[in-house]
Amino acid sequence: MSITIKLFASLREALGEAEFPLALETLPEADVVDGAASVAAIKSALCTRGAQWQEALNQPNLVHALNHKVVYVDAMVADGDELALFPPMTGG
Amino acid sequence: MTISVQAEPINIGDEYAALVGDAPGAAVATFTGYVRDHAGDNPVSVLHLEHYPEMALKVLQSLGQEAVARFGLLEWRIVHRFGSLSVGETIVWVGAVADHRGEAISACEFMMDTLKTDAPFWKREQSPEGTHWVASRGQDEQRRVRWEQGEGG
Repeated sequence: MSITIKLFASLREALGEAEFPLALETLPEADVVDGAASVAAIKSALCTRGAQWQEALNQPNLVHALNHKVVYVDAMVADGDELALFPPMTGG
Repeated sequence: MTISVQAEPINIGDEYAALVGDAPGAAVATFTGYVRDHAGDNPVSVLHLEHYPEMALKVLQSLGQEAVARFGLLEWRIVHRFGSLSVGETIVWVGAVADHRGEAISACEFMMDTLKTDAPFWKREQSPEGTHWVASRGQDEQRRVRWEQGEGG
């Protein structure tokens, strides 16, 4: 059971990773309900990777996109899903 | 009724001709965005545009469709670039064809305002002093929210 995490722009640069798989089994058991975990739980799990991750993922305007759609942190992420994290968009 | 996300420069003449086609609607509006040579007081020499390809295509497609629903467009086109762009190059081009000018102009404004905050592109400016990521502007968010409140549409 694994999801794909993608990071973009300043977040990708700060954390030195663009894309990696994350096994939901590595999350605390209580955070996985019917094979899915919330975006908030996944962020918490990633924050245990170190101070840099904590700082980057706790920035107030961080955007979360689940399978290419912007979601709130209560969205549930299941096996095979793609969760992208990035700063506010600045195109155009 | 199409989009393009591309590294190549935008050929505005070709884009316009394709948008209008053989049977133009009564009103055609377009907007072109270029790389500025400054950001505030700081000079900019190159603009790097990072994007999230799969999501960018979906977001641009859906905002074009929303523009059709709101303004009854006959045709529309959104072209957005990625990669490294020099000063004076085109970044973005949008076009809208409608029966009346109000709809065509508003549709271009709606597409640009929505694209700025919703399409996954990120700008990094390069100047003689180094590079930095462009911060999002509250002003852009305000322009975006306007459309949600229905004031603009």
